Order: sequence, then C-alpha cells, then structure tokens
Amino acid sequence: MNAPLPAAVAAPFYQAQGDECRLFEAAWQQQLPVLIKGPTGCGKTRFVAHMAARLGLPLITVSCHDDLSAADLVGRHLIGDGQTVWCDGPLTRAVRQGGICYLDEVVEARKDTTVVLHPLTDDRRMLPIERTGELLEAPPSFMLVVSYNPGYQHVLKTLKPSTRQRFVAMSFDFPAPDVELAVLMQETGIAESQARQLVTLAGQLRRLTGYDLDESVSTRLLVYAAKLMMSGMSTQLACRTALAEPLSDESDTIAALLAVIDTQFPAR
Amino acid sequence: MEDIVGGWWDRLVRRAAYRGHPAAAVELEQIAGQAPLFFRAMGGDPALVLRSTVGTEHGARRRLIERLAGTGTKVELAWRDSQAFYLPDKLDLYPDAALNRQLYFWLMALAATPVPPGDWLNRNRAATAACLAAMPGLALVYQRLVTGLLPMRPDPARLPAAEAAVERAIQAALRQPEIEQILPAIAQPPLPVPLWLHPAPPVVDQAGAAAQHEAQNPQGKRPDQRSRRRRYRAQRVAQDERKNGMLLVFRAESLFTWDEYVKVNRHTEEDDDNNGEAAAEDMNRLSIAQDAHTKSSKLKFDLDLPAAAYDDSPLGPGLKLPEWNWKQQRLVEDHCIIKPMLPRDAHPAALPDRLLPLARRLRRQFQALAPERVRRSGEASGPDIDIDRVIRFMSERMSGVAIAEPALYQAWPPGERSLACLTLADLSLSTESWVGESGRVIDVIRDSLLLFAEALSASGDAFGLYGFSSIRRQEVRLQVLKDFAERYDDNTRGRIIAIRPGYYTRMGAAIRQSSRILLQQPAARRLLLIISDGKPNDLDHYEGRYGIEDTRQAILEARRDGLLPFCVTVDREAGDYLPHLFGHRGYVVVQQAQTLPQVLTRLYAGFTR
Repeated sequence: MNAPLPAAVAAPFYQAQGDECRLFEAAWQQQLPVLIKGPTGCGKTRFVAHMAARLGLPLITVSCHDDLSAADLVGRHLIGDGQTVWCDGPLTRAVRQGGICYLDEVVEARKDTTVVLHPLTDDRRMLPIERTGELLEAPPSFMLVVSYNPGYQHVLKTLKPSTRQRFVAMSFDFPAPDVELAVLMQETGIAESQARQLVTLAGQLRRLTGYDLDESVSTRLLVYAAKLMMSGMSTQLACRTALAEPLSDESDTIAALLAVIDTQFPAR
Repeated sequence: MEDIVGGWWDRLVRRAAYRGHPAAAVELEQIAGQAPLFFRAMGGDPALVLRSTVGTEHGARRRLIERLAGTGTKVELAWRDSQAFYLPDKLDLYPDAALNRQLYFWLMALAATPVPPGDWLNRNRAATAACLAAMPGLALVYQRLVTGLLPMRPDPARLPAAEAAVERAIQAALRQPEIEQILPAIAQPPLPVPLWLHPAPPVVDQAGAAAQHEAQNPQGKRPDQRSRRRRYRAQRVAQDERKNGMLLVFRAESLFTWDEYVKVNRHTEEDDDNNGEAAAEDMNRLSIAQDAHTKSSKLKFDLDLPAAAYDDSPLGPGLKLPEWNWKQQRLVEDHCIIKPMLPRDAHPAALPDRLLPLARRLRRQFQALAPERVRRSGEASGPDIDIDRVIRFMSERMSGVAIAEPALYQAWPPGERSLACLTLADLSLSTESWVGESGRVIDVIRDSLLLFAEALSASGDAFGLYGFSSIRRQEVRLQVLKDFAERYDDNTRGRIIAIRPGYYTRMGAAIRQSSRILLQQPAARRLLLIISDGKPNDLDHYEGRYGIEDTRQAILEARRDGLLPFCVTVDREAGDYLPHLFGHRGYVVVQQAQTLPQVLTRLYAGFTR
C-alpha cells in the first residue's frame, strides 16, 4: 500500500522546481500532513493535482472562505422526508475514501473551523464526528494538504500557530526563469523568444511586489498572456489585458506597468 | 529706448539660440506618478527617491549663436547616487513629445542598471548595451532616440582633430553600444550626451540636510510644491574663520562668479520672499557653511529647550534602545535613550464641546463593532438545526401547507476578536505647520486622538496612546498619553489636550519602544498605528536615507515580533518613501488633514472586520 503507485497516464503537467515531488511522496508515505505556502498562481493547486494523479489517489479540493464552518467540512444533518439524513462533508468523504483532502486558502476559513483538523493532523489520525458520535480512523493513504498565500491576506488574518505547527511546510515561489520558460512553452506552445521576453518581463514586474503592487504577475497570468498571443492577439494587447490590468486599478500604476511592458513588447 | 531694444534683442537671440523644442516639452511632473514604479521594475533600488536635477555647466564648445546669446552653458542630465535618482525637470530635446517622454523612461532604465566599470563613455556605453540586450522593446525606443539625436551632434569633420576623435568615439558608442570604445584624452569636454547619465555626477554631500531642514522649517513655510523635488548642487564649506566678513561696499562686478563662497558681513534677513530660492536656481553650487547666525525661528527653536521646572515630567532616567546604521548594515546597541514623559500642565478635562456630536456618533458605531457571539436562527445554512423551526415546518407540512426552501438552521456569525492597538503620534515641531483652514497639524492630531480614543473605548478593545519627538539620540521623548492599564477618563483626556509640538522625529527609536510596550499586551492581534506628518529626521545625521532605513528596520522588527504596523500620514509626498517603509498596503495618505479622525476610525473598523 505504501509503495508509490505507477504514474497515472493523465497526470496534469507539472514542472518540478526542485525536490518537491519526492518530498511530497515521502510525506505521504510517512502519513504527514503538508502545508503549502506561496503566492497566487505559482502552481500550488496544479502541484497537488499532479501529485494526486501520480500517487493514484482521489483528490477532494475545498476552497475555503470566511463563512466555511466545521459542519461544511465534516458534514451535517439534512432534513429529508420526515426525518434527518446525515450527509458527509468533503473532509469526511476524503477520510472514508483514503484520498487527499486539499484545503485551498486555508487562512480564509474561520479559526474554529481549522480546529477540526487537529485530531487528523497528529499521530491519532482520527476524525471524530460529534453529531453522529462516529469516530473515523483515517486509512494510511489519507493525506491532508492545506495551502495559503502569505502575501496578500488581510493584515489580521494568519494561520493559528497551533494549527500551523501540525504540518510539514513547503514554500513555493514563482519558478526560476528557465523553469518558467519551460512551463510557458509546454502549456501554450509559444515560441521560445517570445516566452523568454515574457519571463524577463515577469522578472521586472515582480520587483514591484510589496512596493507598488500587493502581488505581482503570476505564472498563471503569464500563461494567459501567452495563450492570448497564441490565439493571434497582438503582443501589446495580450500583455495589457493579461499582465497590466489584472494587477492594479489605479490608472497611474497601469500606465507605469504599460511603460514596463513597452520595454519588452513595443507598440508597433 | 536702449533697454527696450536690448531686451528685444536678448529675447530674440536667446530664442534663436535655444536648441530645444519647447512646444514638445514633457515635464517631469507629468510622469512623476509612474516614474518610481518604472524605476523599481527596471531593477532600481527601491529606497531611492525621485528628484529633479538642475543644470550643470558642461564646458563644451558652443555654437556661435549660443555664445552670442550667452546661453547653452548648462545642461540637465540624469544620474543616480545613494540617496535618489535624478531626472531633468523638463525634456524638450526632440520635436516630438512622445519621443521626449520615451527619453525619460530610457534614462530611468539606464539609471536603474548597475554601474559597469570603466571611464564615463564606456560606463554609459556598457550600461546601454546591457539595457538593450535585456529589453528588446526598449531597444526599438533607443533606435528612435539615437536616430533623432545624431543629427544634433557636431560633425566630427568640422572639429579640431582631438575633439573630433572624442566625438567619433561618442557617436560610435551611440550607434553600436555593444562595441567597446577607447576614449581619447582631451582637455575640452565634448558636447553632453542627453541619452546618457551624467559623466561626473555632482556629489550631493549633505545638501540633503539643507533641503530637509528647509522642508521641516518650523515656521511652516515650505518652498512651493513644484520645486520641492529640486535638488541644488551643494557643497559644504568650512566657515572662513580667518577674518571678519568683508563688507561689500561696491557692486559685485569684481566677484568673478555668483557662487564662489565669500563671507559677507550682513545680517540675516527674515523675509519670506523667495529671492533665495531664485538665486539658488541660478547657482551651480550652493555653499553651505555653519555660522553663528541663525534665523530667529531656528534660534528660538533651539533655545526653546525648556528649563527643567517647566519641562514635561520625565518618568525615570530613560531606556537605552538600539538604532540601525544602514551604512554599516548593523544594529548599534544602546544608541538612543528614550524617555517616557507625562505632559506638563495636564489637567483633567472633559471632551471639548465641539467634538461631542462626532464623538457620540463614533461611540455608537464602535459599540456596534464590539465583538459578541450571538446565535442567529432562521439561517439558510449553518452548523446547527433550528429545532423550533423544524418542528413548525414539520407540523406545517403535515397540515399540507407547502413552503419552499425553509431556513431551518442556526449559525454563529463571526464575532470574536482579541485586539490591542497602540497609537503613536508624531509630535515633532513640524506638526505646528498649518493645514488649510482647519488649524495646525498638531490640532488635527489632537482631535484625532481624542475621537479615536472615544471610539476605541466604546469598542472595548485594549488600547494605548503615545506621542513622540526627539532631540538627538540622547533624548527621544515618548509622551505617555494613556497606557494600556489606564482607563480612558478625564485624566487621560487632559493629557491629550496638553500635547504640544516640539523638536524632531526620530521615528525608529519611538517605534521600537512602542513595539516593546505592545508586545506585553496579551491580545492575539496587535496593531501599531503610527500617525505621522513627514519623513523621519533629527538634528544629527538622522535624516534622508539614514532615518528611513532605521525606521524601516524598526518596522521590520515589529513585523517579525508579530505586530501589525500601519501608518497614517498627512504628508502628501509620503508616496515617495512610505511604500519602502510599510509596504504597499501598510499605509494610507490622508489628502485632507481635517478628515484624519474619520480616516482613523474608518480604518480601525476595517481592521476589525
């Protein structure tokens, strides 16, 4: 059971930046929960999907929001035909199936919500379901993965230290230029010279993170820009719509971003 | 008659000799909003601020008509040093405004590239080549700029041999920046290249200090907004102690230049007109010397140190705090002494009547903010079943009344929070300046503190109020207006009312001490709110980049300790340096100081949501 499964045929493309795939696999074998942090659009979700496919596990993704309650995760009684019916939440389902439960943007969830994860994340690996009195034991293949973006959150929102301490943590960042180049070409089929220009441009725009922009251009946005270019849009327009406008609403900032874009893709 | 004709001739010949294209001029102000971002994106050091240059004499050969008109001796070039990057105030080199605009961006990209080794020609050439290699879009712009520039350069064939060699090297470097050139030695400097950075940037010595002091002018007189960015080329001169100042009895024809330093025996004028500014504009170099005469405002200020009996009451001998020295990149231990003080003459007082209506409204708003966990029934979704409604629903269903989608759940809306907020207000003398009709900055700060305290005490969150000012590193004064343990009552209100502006802004030490106080609070989230009106500065070298970097370090330390620093400023220029200090979302600039109380309370409400 603990041996890595042969790679599934349709594993989504993921370009490894380092040892993260091996690390993830080791964590899965050792039954450790994993915390992934990194900026928006740097490939966290894609990585988890890729690994789930590679390990041949069902993946259940929950996008957390600030109304997400414990019941949303664990499950709840619904009222059926003259009686109440218990309905499993995504977390319970993942535990029963022995798959990967992936909580995206976990800091967005309310703090009391994340506490239900605690018994699952230590060596007990239990999920007590209060409402039904059931005590679920997680099978060895079950894995809990949470992710969040340390950058842009509300200043008062971070993960509780007691929750954070229960995970092994991996830090993701935007890929190195050469890796990002490979990702762009693989994902969109764009020519190398243009991909290189996009990657250089991304490097320039990322210098602004924290000063002029909350969060700079992501690999995802670069892929979008490349896709627009591949579908025949002019480079200028593609960059404007995919790289400048999504980053800011202030006209001054956008004008400056366009000036930066001009240094790579001039208006002809 | 001679005067009039002379004036005409002068205007005519000046216009004829002028090389630029005023109709296509682009001013720095037009791109000032985009410039810092662009500069940073190109890789420029984010700590540098944007300034405009003044003309420097280039000493190159001028055309006949220029010599006739007496113009063309100066040129405005861009450069960068450890404090700022400098751009010309106005560019009108090309007849096309778009091209002039692109020249600005080109200069910024060039100034942002690391300086390669070599003489000035090869430095610029190599930097150009590096820019072009990295940015194909910019290369296109550069081609246009060079194509436009080359016809304006002198023809090497018509120059003396030595100058022609240099000119050829320059033109070759412009055309093909990737090929290294040998710069021939020559006495006569060549015509400046507006596409390149300044060959020998003026050393801006401590001129920053002068500019700073002027900006912090205690009378609140500030040079007009436009010229604030302007950086005069200055040198610091030792006071000539050998003799008494000479008495200027005749007109100054015998003085060879305007800007030579001569000690003149004349009294310091106190007038507000901007003759001095106009003269500074004309000079190549400002000489700055320390002399015994100070303008009365300055004098009054420094002698204003109160006698011990009248000073604020110090609480203990003071605490030693470290300070960050950015040049050495290290924290200097025990560098500052911070002295907690209570304002003198503080009498218990009620809230001033004029603030009462606003205070009442804020109290109501903030009481609503007070965290309470209430169970809400009748929700469409929620963790618990609303038994009452279920029973009702069942019975209604039994009786045959159908209801679509009943709301049968109970929910716990979010409410809990544990928050401590320390407000640190800048009480330096610069807060004595006036803002519009609403009074002085200090009055606005006082009202804001009063109202903010009213609001906070209504919300039930723990809060402390402090003010700070400084006189060198030996005395950073921290006014304790209300500490966390105290109740907010007439005593504390009296202290807030008694705050007075004075001295300077050593922000780093005050932030460090505030962080320490805040760290002792047991709350889960701790907010450090700083109200400021300008850059950090003090009498000694604590100004410009030194002050900024120390403050930045103090804020980084606070962040590391888990505090949430946030800055509210009334300084409109704050956009230049606050992103570096607090990050993009860590500050807000209050455009109209009068609205500070509302901004503060709105902000706080936003934080606690």
